[in-house]
Amino acid sequence: MHPASISKSSLIPARAGIGLRFQHHQPVLDTRPDVAWMEVHTENYMGGGTPLKYLDAIRRDTPISLHGVGLSLGSAEGVDPAHLERIRRVAERVEPGLMSEHIAWNLVGGTYLADLLPLPMTEEALDVVCRHVEQTQSYLKRRILVENPSTYVAFGNSIIPEWEFMATVAARTGCGILCDVNNICVSAHNHGWDASGYLAALPPDAVGEIHLAGHSIRTFADGSSLRIDDHGSKVTKEVWTLYRQAVARFGAVPTLIEWDNEIPPLDVLLDEAQHAERVIAAWQESNGHADAA
Amino acid sequence: MPTLLELQTAMRQSLVHRDIAAVSAMLAAHVAPDRLDIYRNTFLLTLTKALRLCFPAVQKLVGEEFFEDAAQVFIAERPPRAAWLDQYGAEFPDFLCAFAPAASVPYLGDVAKLEWAVNCALHAADAEPLDAAGLACVAPEDQGRIRLIANPSIALVQLGYPADTIWRAVLAGDDDALQKIDLDCGPVHVLVERRTRGVEVERLDVRPWEFLAVLCAGEPIETAIESSDGFDCSSALAEHIALGRFRCFELAPDVGDRVPSTAIPR
Repeated sequence: MHPASISKSSLIPARAGIGLRFQHHQPVLDTRPDVAWMEVHTENYMGGGTPLKYLDAIRRDTPISLHGVGLSLGSAEGVDPAHLERIRRVAERVEPGLMSEHIAWNLVGGTYLADLLPLPMTEEALDVVCRHVEQTQSYLKRRILVENPSTYVAFGNSIIPEWEFMATVAARTGCGILCDVNNICVSAHNHGWDASGYLAALPPDAVGEIHLAGHSIRTFADGSSLRIDDHGSKVTKEVWTLYRQAVARFGAVPTLIEWDNEIPPLDVLLDEAQHAERVIAAWQESNGHADAA
Repeated sequence: MPTLLELQTAMRQSLVHRDIAAVSAMLAAHVAPDRLDIYRNTFLLTLTKALRLCFPAVQKLVGEEFFEDAAQVFIAERPPRAAWLDQYGAEFPDFLCAFAPAASVPYLGDVAKLEWAVNCALHAADAEPLDAAGLACVAPEDQGRIRLIANPSIALVQLGYPADTIWRAVLAGDDDALQKIDLDCGPVHVLVERRTRGVEVERLDVRPWEFLAVLCAGEPIETAIESSDGFDCSSALAEHIALGRFRCFELAPDVGDRVPSTAIPR
């Protein structure tokens, strides 16, 4: 199935947004910050009660994007239909401008492994992911975006470069790509890839959203190091540089600041979003789109 | 070359059972197997955090380290079955009851049982309360078949120890209150529900508790009243309805209503 492609942002503007976490529900309502859109984790709104009440109040003024972390598009045994239905119900209630999931897996033998686990880059995994993206889009009756992963291991049977895997999933299923620039930076370091080359290999028309976040670096006794995608700090200089390259290639797309550990005051997130807005504005100016925002 | 299912099964073995042999053999040459620790740590931390959020009083009673150890054993034995972590931990109370190292805290399982009910109430689906006017429209001959559907946040919990008092004192850090608790006071009956102010835990007398339990189990109102043994259930019922403890009603099937199987449908 190839769902009709929706415009890049029918509801979510091509500007900077922030990831909304529970800690910021009340501060957002109290201060009504000037931020173009927000994104939440779908799984945090599957029940009733307070979280949904906050989200209902916040989305009156602010477009919301739903970002799932649990669907497991890469599971050999298939996605959990009950989870897909929960996602559909949240979407029905929240009316998100965008919906996204990950190129990852977390379900095997009926066990949920509570993480975004790496896939082997094989033809089999590609077929499995495409099948599940199509199933999801047809069940939700809309196009989804899929996010490139951050990974710490790679498998011996991988034969497809990750950027090619991403591009193929988009081409075969009609889904969009959520280009996580921080994940590219992390994985490129961990596996010795060329981060700029990764960006250059993604199809610009498919990229519907960008994620930015902080990561940390762990150094081992043998002097080697690993970048850890922990979303616990400011976006690094390197990632901002990569982001400017991404905007130059993909144009102005909705860009999200994610922060999930040691969550700072709302102002810190808003500053980061401002930074991204300036990058978008600079690109628009240099391309004669100054009034497009 | 491993199939995707073989690889994912091997990865589960490394995360849940700390057995990295199979998945290590599947890694690319440039990847040191100790990188798998990152996934193992995330898996444990995420699930331990989910349990900690759900069982704060249990953690305070046994201490952080003991809680983490117990959680690790539990996670390996009963990893989650669904990607909705608000619903992870239903089996933790029973696990704690049988967990030998916790035997010196006999009421721990009851406190966990209560906290699980509180967690469920916190995350239960929103529901509009029953419109009592609809009840009055039921034909008199059908009224005996009315059964009420409880608001999804409601749980009726029976506890062998006064775990409600323990729970309150522990969360408030009130050591005096904790000292005064009579562990031998006999079973307590508790109503847990989410109201606009938040989740409330209320101790009921045994008869009103049983009456509400029968109603919430979906028995016809008439049956609940008949089995209520003399206590003033009509005012209790009116109060439950007024407080929005039910979201709707339906009519229990009546044998007299059954259509013969040979009847031609109209």
